[in-house]
Amino acid sequence: MESKGKKMEPQVTFLGAALAVLFTISMGGLLWWMLHPPRQIQPAVAKARYAVGAFKRILVPTSGVPYSEKGIELACRLGTEQEAEIVLTYVLEIPRTLPLNAPIPEAEAQADEALKRGKEIVELHHLVPILKLERAREAGEGIVKVAKDNQVDVIVLGIRPNWRGTQNIWGKTTDTLLRKAPCEVVIDKLPE
Amino acid sequence: MGVGSALDPSPTANFVGVKRGTEKRTSRPQGSPLVFFILKGNLMVNTSTSLQGKPELRRDVSVWGSYMWGFADVGADTFVALGLVMAYAQGATSLVFALAGIVYILIGLAYTELASAYPVAGGGPYFCLRGLGDFWGFVAGSALLLDYTIDIALFATASAGYLNFFMPFVLGRSIESFATNIGPFHSVNPMWGVETLILIGILIWLNVRGIRESSFLNEVIGVIVILTESALVIMGFLFAWKPELLALQWKTQFPSLNHFMYGSSLAIISFVGLESISQAAQETRRPATIIPRTSLTLIFTVFIFAVAFSTLGLGILPWQDFAKNVDNPVAVLAHALPFIGFAAGPFAAGLGALILFISANTGVMGASRLTYSLSQFKIISSWFDKVHPQYRTPVRTILVFSMIGVIETILSFLTPSAMHTLGNMYAFGATLGYTMVFIALIKLRFTDPYSPRPYKVPVNMSFKYRGRKVGLPVIGIVGLLGVATILFEVVWTHSIGRIAGPAWIIFCFIYYAWYRRRQRLPLFRSVKHDWEKEQINVLTSAEEFDLLEQYKLALAERDKKKVELR
Repeated sequence: MESKGKKMEPQVTFLGAALAVLFTISMGGLLWWMLHPPRQIQPAVAKARYAVGAFKRILVPTSGVPYSEKGIELACRLGTEQEAEIVLTYVLEIPRTLPLNAPIPEAEAQADEALKRGKEIVELHHLVPILKLERAREAGEGIVKVAKDNQVDVIVLGIRPNWRGTQNIWGKTTDTLLRKAPCEVVIDKLPE
Repeated sequence: MGVGSALDPSPTANFVGVKRGTEKRTSRPQGSPLVFFILKGNLMVNTSTSLQGKPELRRDVSVWGSYMWGFADVGADTFVALGLVMAYAQGATSLVFALAGIVYILIGLAYTELASAYPVAGGGPYFCLRGLGDFWGFVAGSALLLDYTIDIALFATASAGYLNFFMPFVLGRSIESFATNIGPFHSVNPMWGVETLILIGILIWLNVRGIRESSFLNEVIGVIVILTESALVIMGFLFAWKPELLALQWKTQFPSLNHFMYGSSLAIISFVGLESISQAAQETRRPATIIPRTSLTLIFTVFIFAVAFSTLGLGILPWQDFAKNVDNPVAVLAHALPFIGFAAGPFAAGLGALILFISANTGVMGASRLTYSLSQFKIISSWFDKVHPQYRTPVRTILVFSMIGVIETILSFLTPSAMHTLGNMYAFGATLGYTMVFIALIKLRFTDPYSPRPYKVPVNMSFKYRGRKVGLPVIGIVGLLGVATILFEVVWTHSIGRIAGPAWIIFCFIYYAWYRRRQRLPLFRSVKHDWEKEQINVLTSAEEFDLLEQYKLALAERDKKKVELR
């Protein structure tokens, strides 16, 4: 074993010193990163996180006004991560003096226009829009029916910001939804 | 492989009941003949009860403990591989280590993904079983069993080799002087062989008696190894490294293609032991969060050490010095350093002997754990799991596989270089097992896209498969090609490995066929397993609640789609 008896003269080179420094930094950096893992997530927190992730089909009623379209944008952002389907519905409220299937061309054109704008918003997020024009005596009842028929996971409802009522801030449609919706309801109200 | 699995509770941990599960696993040495072993009449068992009421290993290994488990396992390999590889790769040793290291990094990434997605003991064979079915699980299992038996023989031989560093000081003559010719066998070294057999005998005795190592002491030894290796690298580069010597050896001592291939196939043994990642996953708390960090750190630290040592070695001494001292190359390197060489040489030799001896124990423990895991899935008979009535240790497994290690040791010492022969065989088992793991990784991406993967092998090609987005791991395919190339090199250049390796697999297959027929189980098809239930249980016991919710959500989504399709 010749080398065991050899005497080495110290020799410092720039490259050797650089490699020693590189070695120290990389080893130290790796160990530091390893020893700082993220915090543990508690069961309830995990359930809450994935409860939102479970929204695969989101219903947004629209009436073509800005606050309801903001509701569509909100729904898209809620559904982006899990690539949810966005069900857009416009409920035509048919007066009780008319049969449900009575043609109302002007209102239908308005509904189509509102749904078309909503579809554009959804497509900007690369999500799948599903358009539903529903006829009902009351908007709330119509929305609940669409929610049931399409098995949606959540309804996102943008409501009027400048509510001037004195008794019920929600309005009749919102009230019906909160009472009868078969799923979660998210209400988005802008500040007055 | 190495100390890593020494952090295990005893190999019997899987075999014993739940009652002892509340005992604490870390203990202190009490008058043991070897300082790092603890003699205990009754095994301390680190178990808890799973949701199904089965005893299972408790998860109480910390981040540092999990890392040390792996590092001590893989980190010990450099002590063996440096000399073996230098003997063939010569002036290109650094390149060979870097190339093998890149393949190893890819393998490590695959293990990281699988071990964090399926944090259960069982390692490669479990992933293959789950991804490819019972038969391929058996093939991977038998390759790994071969490695565990060689692990016993190779690391005991290497441990004795480092002890032999002191022989000139103790007996006044070197170990080489004991080499002799016995009949048709040349350069047989009976002294070294006997030393090795004594070490294996001690291992058998310790394991049959159920003597358990202290995890605390293992962690301490691991820290000492890291500090020693780091100090050697830093001191070496600062005060002894000559870039001109490295360049000269690169230019004038570049190996032939055949030697280059042989060297690179041997270099892979300096990275063997990735199984420890999945072994550690079984006992680490929050494995899905911790394992990616510990295993990525492990992969890169071992890679850095391997490349650093080979680069340093070629810049300090001629490669022939390492090739001549294949039994203790790190000690030779340490001894050559200025200022500290007089003490670093013997210290590195002593430390090498210790860590390699503990590494040899990995083989005994690994074989024991693996046979238990395989018998759970009806790949082999539960005969192997029989527990000794007094010592409560899996005595049959210990004896059978240790004796195979003994036979391999004796046969290897009849060849001109026992270390080369064993390294030859070791590379075959490892590369075959790794090849299978890569295939399992790719297949599982398609067959089980629902299990959350806290770490994913990077660079994936996304596309829709059966209505769900899956990612084809491009790096997994590159890794598969890389490790398959090394397997080809092993078969091409290793005269012993290409005969003995496949012969072992065939031998195991005969047993497998006999056992499955006897149990009236299909030979090539799989027994039905409820993987989903198992996955939920595993994630629950691992306290990975975030992943558990993610998994349940994915399954619910799948089931909903199924209903809709109907």
